[in-house]
Amino acid sequence: MSPAGCSHVNGYKVENWKQNLRVIYQCFVWSGTAETRRRKAKSCICHMCGAHLNRLHSCLYCVFFGCFTKKHIHEHAKSKRHNLAIDLLYGGIYCFVCQDYIYDKDMEQIAKEEQRKAWKFAVPNLLTYTTWEPTKRELELLRHNPKRRKITTNCTIGLRGLINLGNTCFMNCIVQALTHTPLLRDFFLSDRHKCEMQSNSCLVCEMSQLFQEFYSGHRSPHIPFRLLHLVWTHARHLAGYEQQDAHEFLIAALDVLHRHWDDNGKKANNPNHCNCIIDQIFTGGLQSDVTCQVCHGVSTTIDPFWDISLDLPGSSTPFWPLSPGGDGSTVNGESHMTGPTTLTDCLRRFTRPEHLGSSAKIKCGGCHSYQESTKQLTMKKLPIVACFHLKRFEHSAKLRRKITTYVSFPLELDMTPFMASSKESRMNGQYQQTVDILNNDNKYSLFAVVNHQGTLESGHYTSFIRQHKDQWFKCDDAIITKASIKDVLDSEGYLLFYHKQFLEYE
Amino acid sequence: MKMEDMPLSGPDNTRLEALVHDIYSELVDDACLGLSFEVHRAVKQGYFFLDETDQESMKEFEIVDQPGVDIFGQVYNQWKNKECECPNCKRLIAASRFAPHLEKCLGMGRNSSRIANRRLATNNTMSKSESDQEDNDDLNDNDWSYGNQTSPRRSKSLKHKNGTYFFRCRHYNYSSGINYETLGPDEVRSVLTTGCVMPRCPGRSQRCPQHTDEQRRAARVFLLGRPPPLPDVDAVMESDTFDIPDGQSLMSRLQWEDSPDVSPTDSASSKATCCAQNEAKTLRSRSSAQKMVFIENKLNVKHCAPPRKLYSSRTRYALFRNTAERRGEAREAARGGQFEDVMFGHF
Repeated sequence: MSPAGCSHVNGYKVENWKQNLRVIYQCFVWSGTAETRRRKAKSCICHMCGAHLNRLHSCLYCVFFGCFTKKHIHEHAKSKRHNLAIDLLYGGIYCFVCQDYIYDKDMEQIAKEEQRKAWKFAVPNLLTYTTWEPTKRELELLRHNPKRRKITTNCTIGLRGLINLGNTCFMNCIVQALTHTPLLRDFFLSDRHKCEMQSNSCLVCEMSQLFQEFYSGHRSPHIPFRLLHLVWTHARHLAGYEQQDAHEFLIAALDVLHRHWDDNGKKANNPNHCNCIIDQIFTGGLQSDVTCQVCHGVSTTIDPFWDISLDLPGSSTPFWPLSPGGDGSTVNGESHMTGPTTLTDCLRRFTRPEHLGSSAKIKCGGCHSYQESTKQLTMKKLPIVACFHLKRFEHSAKLRRKITTYVSFPLELDMTPFMASSKESRMNGQYQQTVDILNNDNKYSLFAVVNHQGTLESGHYTSFIRQHKDQWFKCDDAIITKASIKDVLDSEGYLLFYHKQFLEYE
Repeated sequence: MKMEDMPLSGPDNTRLEALVHDIYSELVDDACLGLSFEVHRAVKQGYFFLDETDQESMKEFEIVDQPGVDIFGQVYNQWKNKECECPNCKRLIAASRFAPHLEKCLGMGRNSSRIANRRLATNNTMSKSESDQEDNDDLNDNDWSYGNQTSPRRSKSLKHKNGTYFFRCRHYNYSSGINYETLGPDEVRSVLTTGCVMPRCPGRSQRCPQHTDEQRRAARVFLLGRPPPLPDVDAVMESDTFDIPDGQSLMSRLQWEDSPDVSPTDSASSKATCCAQNEAKTLRSRSSAQKMVFIENKLNVKHCAPPRKLYSSRTRYALFRNTAERRGEAREAARGGQFEDVMFGHF
């Protein structure tokens, strides 16, 4: 008998009690099927007052329902000497002699099984996770060793510097951004990666190890030499001791992680149905619509993407060309020259309809001939983590330089105007888009910013990352310091990482 | 809570509103009950205390927000001596130099094709010492700095043929030739076996174009007392199959009268000045055998006076060209100067 149980249950545990208990759980507590739900709704009311709330309990010895708050079940227990009752909401067993809820091991076992069965029925693909509970021995050990590392809001655990291995600041920034992606962090810290790769060269395992290092509580910076070695051996085009681009590294790293997932043999080689964590988090769908100017037929393709590269003003190419040859100084009547460029300006430019010009005629399926057309990009499916890449470089015939125009980016971003669905409603004549405050699907918040100081040839990467909601830190290789939100928003911005605010079950 | 007991919430108190409110409060009540059960169970089963943490740990992991220190309270830039083990060659490398090392180690760098060609040509399994030298080769090249993007030498040296670094030696700063003083016995051994043992030659590998194989072979024979076991002089010798003869035997080799190139020694040669003497000898003859004396001097630390510092060639030359007042001093350095005179520009 465990200390949490009581001796009074022994009176109950006679002849076929397990089956009886199961029936009670199935029908009145965890109602999985529609039928049991209906039955519960109809029959589970207090036999004395008719209420269906008030913490209804069922007697374990006979068919009696009574509410707890009005003490109707207590009266029944006293009069009939039925000392056990079960709470119909959460399945807890109440002993009237002890006057407390008790936790008997056998009964709890049955409860857990029934619960799992009911959930599986209701939500077919649910992966049931049971919370960890320590055994008696573990409790003893934990009691003897009171020192604990608890992650509170003012805690350094989860933050760690990274040594620069020789021009590897680009890698360090991307690693900081990835380790502070909440979903990735949760995935790796809950040990979800089971490696089936034979050799030691699984990059996903190395990522997992990286998270362990970050949450180890060590203060000295981590030396990511194994990671560098693995990335170089798996992404040959990146290898070489030169200064490199952080965006390229991000794409290469995501690609290698994605490929290593494939190697685990989890599914067929179907790129459209990849179930790896990288695809779940980073992959979005970009819809490209080519509209024929003659018959207005639209040809649509959807391409997957991991990041969105945005053009910036300040380059030789004009920022707002609506039609070729046009200067495009106003867009829909609004002037864009006032104020600094914002991220939404860049996104608007990205999703504007672009006239392809007379030299690039597309064969139209409707007209069966080559016609002029416009092309427009919109977001079909948004990824959970959206990475924006500001193209801060210019490679034209006359010059190569870095574009240092300040682009202001918000802490919270709503992607609704750039969605394919919004475009459709616009085309259908609904110009006035009601701001649907209840639709939280497209709201994002910033959690990492990667910055570059220097020129095209050489420079240094630093990053800002968010930890614990509204606490920002600057990561400069091995040096981590606290930063203010203003520092972050005033920085130049090269790679911007946004995370969806609300995650829904599919 | 019955609907009849509901308080009036406003002028638009429809039944629907009340129902909604009803359902809402029921859900909230249920959620609170669930939480209460969890806590109750935790207390009863005895694991509720696990949620707490001790004060000491809280303080230990607190974020520090002060100028000059990072969030852990540590001063910046104290991480200079971090090391890591290369996954490829298993050697300990300084962390901040790991990337360039790995590039060469994996055969991805600009020079790696050259090194690989050489490896193929010698057709040997790579010994640790040899790869050591090739790494040091590049590292020792002062002009070959990765940050030096605008150096014209950089583009020049890319044009090498047959795997030899034809241009590099020429631009070497002569004072940065192999400084044996700083080498441990193992390294000296490795250089002697596989490096270019010609004195003052900074070329650490056998393919230094400044010297011929014959010269090197002779030098090695002279210095080490026996020919290399393999017919190919550039073969790597097992570093554990021979010892560097000690200073005495090297010294004695110097007295070898059969060599036609050896000039007669000064009559009064005491141990204290053996270095100077030997250096003087090399001045008069340029035979390869004599030039090894330089190496011998550096090895033979026990007998000689502390080895002279290696000035830069310019400094030495300047010393050499001093006026008469400093001739006494210059004489001391002149040996170096003359030595330099011989070496300088004749390689």
